[in-house]
Amino acid sequence: MGRILIRFNEEQVSEPIASQIIIEHKVPMAILTAHINSKGGEILAEVPDDQLQKVVDAFRKRGVAVMVPKLIEVDSEKCFSCGSCVALCPVEAITLAPDSTVQFDKVRCMGSACGICVDACPARAIKSVKQNGVDLIRLKKS
Amino acid sequence: MSNQAKTRTVEEINAKIRKGDAQILTAEEMKKLVDSSGVEVAFREVDVVTTGTFGAMCSSGAVVNVGHSDPPIKIDNAWMNNVPVCHPGAAVDLFIGATNMSEKIPFEYGGGHVIEDLVAGNEIELRATAYGTDCYPRTSIKTTLTKDDLNQFCLINFRNGYQRYNCAVNGSEEIIYTYMSKLLPRLRNATYSGAGELNPLMNDPDYETMGMGTRIFLGGAQGYIIGEGTQHSPKNLSGTLMVKGDAKKMSPEFLQGAAFTGYGTSLYVGLGVPIPILNEGLARKTAIRDSEIMTDIVDYSVPRRDRPKLGQVSYAELKSGSININGKKIRVSSLSSLKMAKKVSQTLKEWIDEGSFFLSSPVERLPTNSTFKPMRQTEEIPFVVSVMHPAITCTENEEIQAIAKRIVTNSVNHIVVVDDAGKLLGIVTSWDVTRAMAEGKKALADIETRSVVTAKPEEPLEIASKRMAQHNISALPVINIERKVLGIVTTEDVAKLLGR
Repeated sequence: MGRILIRFNEEQVSEPIASQIIIEHKVPMAILTAHINSKGGEILAEVPDDQLQKVVDAFRKRGVAVMVPKLIEVDSEKCFSCGSCVALCPVEAITLAPDSTVQFDKVRCMGSACGICVDACPARAIKSVKQNGVDLIRLKKS
Repeated sequence: MSNQAKTRTVEEINAKIRKGDAQILTAEEMKKLVDSSGVEVAFREVDVVTTGTFGAMCSSGAVVNVGHSDPPIKIDNAWMNNVPVCHPGAAVDLFIGATNMSEKIPFEYGGGHVIEDLVAGNEIELRATAYGTDCYPRTSIKTTLTKDDLNQFCLINFRNGYQRYNCAVNGSEEIIYTYMSKLLPRLRNATYSGAGELNPLMNDPDYETMGMGTRIFLGGAQGYIIGEGTQHSPKNLSGTLMVKGDAKKMSPEFLQGAAFTGYGTSLYVGLGVPIPILNEGLARKTAIRDSEIMTDIVDYSVPRRDRPKLGQVSYAELKSGSININGKKIRVSSLSSLKMAKKVSQTLKEWIDEGSFFLSSPVERLPTNSTFKPMRQTEEIPFVVSVMHPAITCTENEEIQAIAKRIVTNSVNHIVVVDDAGKLLGIVTSWDVTRAMAEGKKALADIETRSVVTAKPEEPLEIASKRMAQHNISALPVINIERKVLGIVTTEDVAKLLGR
């Protein structure tokens, strides 16, 4: 699954854009978080990897800003569990297991919006990666 | 050995290892046994306690002999994978220092990574230049090598296994990148290093069993202690080890290159020492717990040799994930790997259990009374504290008129705004006051600068001076860690000092 952050402005928020796209493209979309009011809002959603580009294009065509957040990936081969990232993580997505192994919770991780751990890894095991090569560029709100 | 004996020897232990009768416990297991059964039972039942540590050890490196080329070359400068390597001896002996950095990708790849690559069996590129002599006519060479092509590949680490180390924090306003990793401003995180109760030296603090010739676990193979490490400071519970071993036999799992952003490269080394339980005293000493091992919390934002200490913590607190500094809870991370330290002590235990590793007595024990001296400096440099002078201050509810008067009376250009406790709130300059007059402003709040660039008393004046130039300002209030104003330093002070 790929994650997308959809941002609606004041005009768009009253239209059923997300449901139209779901029906039109027959794409399942899991809403992870949603903060919406009459002034606009944001939805963080997950869509299948092979339909990610299609969904992003569909939203952008309707003038909705879509961000494909970069994800943080941990190379468990490279990581030697020093733990220098643990206390830096603001959402406790990185923890030490009882046997002192560093554990990374991808779901809790905020991704590149934070990225505080990346340059603190002496093993260079933490990388900020693009999702499925999809462009990060966000359309400007009109 | 009879149950009554009060001591045992290394020879007796080795005989038991040969027969498969020796009782080996990891340091972790030993502590539990002493807790549950007491020192006497632990001494009677346990022959060897295995310790371990796995951390960034910058004073590490490897001596390699690359063999003679045809025609031969007396190497003057050499690079391995673009990392400059030293040529401290004859024609083709090189030293790969862990902290030497690649000229192509500095801060990301260095000597530690070259050592790891070689140990892993990877091919590395050697480039070398020379001035050419009658006996060594060649002036340049380029080739690729693996560890199998090297005659000797000897890990020689001149300071490893620090008995304990500082806990690092950052009391400044900006992120700093140090060899203690990334430190967030205003004490928002802390880092520490060391295995605490698993550390080799901590389990034998009088160095009864350690010294030149002690056989150890080094980088996944057998190695040796060859003496005290540099900066060995036993009186301060900060002993260190100098060690060597055949890197060809080592494993990349226990020798890993590392990169510290803004600091440079290093090498993580897995090191473990077997401690023969020769007497009851050693049984008691190997029962030491993290809660008994204290270390200083040090503010790394102060760019001085003696950095301010903000308190003490135990390794038990450090390993708990958070510490308290003046009632504030701060999350703390380890830089060394406890998981790998445990693996070192466990692997060493298995080697002894299976009879592939025998203990050795040191031919000369580590010194217990040496001290670590600071550098003798023949030139003094000035610090902020040596030129700062008292700041003229005001409070936030004063009128601009009163401030203007104070500027004139004291013939200064800067008034520091403080609260009732003398803590920094802002700064007002004579220019701000002039502008207020021109624009008819009356309230201090309209002209005061609230985000103030500051200095610390113990900073070198040069750093403070550069900061003023960087921000294009002419004074810095000098504050302590509680943001209390101690004085002010101005560009005039700097100029006066230089003109002296």
